[in-house]
Amino acid sequence: MSLSLQILQHVPVNNYVLLAAMLFCIGVFGVLFRRNTIIVLMCVELMLNAVNLLMVAFSAMHNDPGGQIFVFFIMAVAAAEVSVGLAIMVLIYRNSGSVDIDLLNKLKG
Amino acid sequence: MIFLSVPSDYMPMAIMFVVSIGFVLTTIFVTHLIGPKRKSDVKLDTFECGIEPQGNSRIPFSIKYFLVAILFVLFDVEVIFMYPWAVNFLELGMYGFIEMILFISLFMLGFLYIVRKGALKWE
Amino acid sequence: MNTLIAIAGIGIVAMIADILRIRKIIFPVAMAGLAIAAFTAVSDWNTNTRYFNDMMFFDNYAAAFSLLIVVIAIIWFVMAVPDLKTGNHYSDKSALVAFSLAGSVVMVSFSNLAMLFLGIEILSVSLYVLAASNKNNLLSNEAGFKYFIMGAFATGIFLFGVALIYGACGTFNLQEINAFVATNKSDLSGQMYTGVLLMIIGLSFKIAAAPFHFWAPDVYEGSPTTITAFMSTIVKVAAFGALYRLMAGCFSQINEWWTTVFIILSVVSMLVGNIMATRQSSFKRLLAFSSISHAGYMLLPLLTLSDLTGTSLLLYGAAYAFASIGIFSLVSVMSENDDESIDSLNGFAKSHPIKAILFSVLLLSLAGIPPLAGFMGKYYAFYAALKSGNTSIVLIAIISSLIGVYYYLQVIIAMYKPTGHTSASFRFTIYQNIVLWTCFLITLILGIFPQLIIGWL
Repeated sequence: MSLSLQILQHVPVNNYVLLAAMLFCIGVFGVLFRRNTIIVLMCVELMLNAVNLLMVAFSAMHNDPGGQIFVFFIMAVAAAEVSVGLAIMVLIYRNSGSVDIDLLNKLKG
Repeated sequence: MIFLSVPSDYMPMAIMFVVSIGFVLTTIFVTHLIGPKRKSDVKLDTFECGIEPQGNSRIPFSIKYFLVAILFVLFDVEVIFMYPWAVNFLELGMYGFIEMILFISLFMLGFLYIVRKGALKWE
Repeated sequence: MNTLIAIAGIGIVAMIADILRIRKIIFPVAMAGLAIAAFTAVSDWNTNTRYFNDMMFFDNYAAAFSLLIVVIAIIWFVMAVPDLKTGNHYSDKSALVAFSLAGSVVMVSFSNLAMLFLGIEILSVSLYVLAASNKNNLLSNEAGFKYFIMGAFATGIFLFGVALIYGACGTFNLQEINAFVATNKSDLSGQMYTGVLLMIIGLSFKIAAAPFHFWAPDVYEGSPTTITAFMSTIVKVAAFGALYRLMAGCFSQINEWWTTVFIILSVVSMLVGNIMATRQSSFKRLLAFSSISHAGYMLLPLLTLSDLTGTSLLLYGAAYAFASIGIFSLVSVMSENDDESIDSLNGFAKSHPIKAILFSVLLLSLAGIPPLAGFMGKYYAFYAALKSGNTSIVLIAIISSLIGVYYYLQVIIAMYKPTGHTSASFRFTIYQNIVLWTCFLITLILGIFPQLIIGWL
C-alpha cells in the first residue's frame, strides 16, 4: 500500500461523505432552480462528480478497487450522456433560437 | 507490505519533467530568437491577403467545432478503460488481450461510422 | 447471455447498414436477430449461469423477462417499421432501438450494481436521442430534453444511493450485499437505509411512479408515437424487472422497511394516474397517465416477496404491454392525421367496425374487465397484495381501477359516436393490422389461460 493512500485514510471518511453530500445538493438545487439549460447540464455533472468522489473515498476506506472501476464507468457514461444532452440542446437552439428553460413549456395539458 | 520510496526512485520522473518542460520552452522562446523578423503593416494584419477583416472576432462559432469537440470528448474518455487493463496486462493474459481487441474494434466501428457519416468533414 | 449478444449484434449491423448501403436488410436482420434472441432466452431456462466474475446472472427469472422483452420488441418493431422508414435515419433509429433493448436485457439479468447502472444508462441514452428524433419539431426536442434532464437527474440520485450502499457494505455484488444485510440485520446504519431509499427513488423515475412521474406526460406526448409506445412498454417492463431483482436479490431481509415506501408510491401513483387521466383530451396524454396508474398496480405484487411476486409482475407486464402496443398502433395512425384528441375518434366504429371491436377489447383489458389479460394481471397483483395483509391498499386499488374503467369507456364511447365536425380518415398499413390482431389474440389467450405464465417461475 502506498504512502499517499495511508495518508488519505487518516482523513475521516465522514468528511468525504459530507463534502460529497454538499456538492450533490448544490447540483440538485441547480437542476431544479436554474433557468439556463447549460447550467442545468453542468449541475447534473456536478451531481455525478459528487458520487464519484464518494465512491473513491469509500473505495479507499474499504481498500477495494471496485469503487474506482465504478467511477470509470460513471465518467464514461457521463461523457456520453452530456454529449447527447448538448446535441439535443443544439437542436432546440436551432429551432427556437434560445436555450432558456422557460421556453420549453409547449407540452401542457 | 509497505514500499518505502527513496528520492532516487523519482529520478526518471524528474528527467521526464525536465525534458517535457524544456521542449515546450524551447519551441515557444527559441523559435522567436532564431527566426528572422520583418515587421510591416501588411504583416500585422489578420490576413495578409484577401479581404480586409471586419468587426469583432467574438462571434458565435461554427457548429462544426462543437461536433468535433463532442466526438473528441467521447473518444478521449474511453481511454480510461485501458488503464486497468494496462496495469493488469500480464495477469489477464490472452483472455484480457482478446477482450481488449474486441473493445477497440467495436470502438473503431464507431469511428468508422462517424467518418462515413461525414461528421468530420469541414466543407 | 447469448440473447444480449444477438440483440447487440442487430444494433451493430443496423448501424453500419447505412454506410454499406444495405438498408433493406435491416428489417429482416432485426426480425431474425430477435427470433434468435427469443430462442436463446428460452434455451437459457434452468441453466442458471453466472458470467464475467458474477457480473451477470441468467437465472429463470432473467430468462423469462428477457423473453417477454424480446417478444414485445418483435411486435413493436413490426408496428414501428413504416414510421422508422420515413426520413433518412432508418438505420440510426433501428440501431438505437436495438442498443436500448440490449440495455433492457442487462437490466433484468444483472448481478452487480455496476451492471444495473450500465443497463439503465444504455437504455436511457439511446432513448434520449429517440425521443428527440423528430428533428424539426420543437415539441419532440422539448420531450427529448425533458427526458434527458429527468433521466440524468434520476441517475444521479440512483448513483448516490449505490455509493452509500457501497460505503456500508464494501461491495457491489448482489449476493454479498444480501449476505451483509442478513448478518447485520439488527444494526444496519442509517447510511444503508438512505442508500436503499435513494435507489428506489432513482428507479421510480424510470418506472414513472408518482410522485416522480411529472416528466412522463410531457415526454410521452412530445415524442414520436412509436417511441412513446417503446417507452411505455419495454422500458416499464425492464425497469420493473430491475426493481424486483434488486429488492428481492439484495434487500429481501429488510422488506418490512421498504414495503412502506412502496405502499406510498403505489397508492399515490394509482390515484394521481387515474384521476388525472379522466381530465385529458389528448389520447396520447391519457395513455401517459394510465401508464402511471399501471405502475401503481405493478408495485402491488412487490409489497410481499413470495413465489407469486415474480410471476404476477410478469403476467401484469405482459398484459399491459401487449394491450398498450395494440392501442399505440391506433395512436400512430392518428398521429399521421396530426390530431391525437379523443374526439377525433368519432365515427371510427362506422368506418372500421371490426377494428373498433378489437381496440375496445384492448382498452377493456387495460381497464381490467374479465376475461381479458388485464383482469388476470390485476387479479394476481391484488391477490399478492392481499396475502401481505394490506387490505386497505387493495380497496384503494379497486376504487382507482373503477375510475380507470370510466375513462377507458370514454374512449370507446368516442369511437362509437357518429362523425362530428371532424371526419378524419384512418389509414392502417398491413404492419399495423398484423400488430393489432397479434395483440388482440395474446390479450385473449393470456386472459383465458393465465397459467401460461403463472406457475412457471
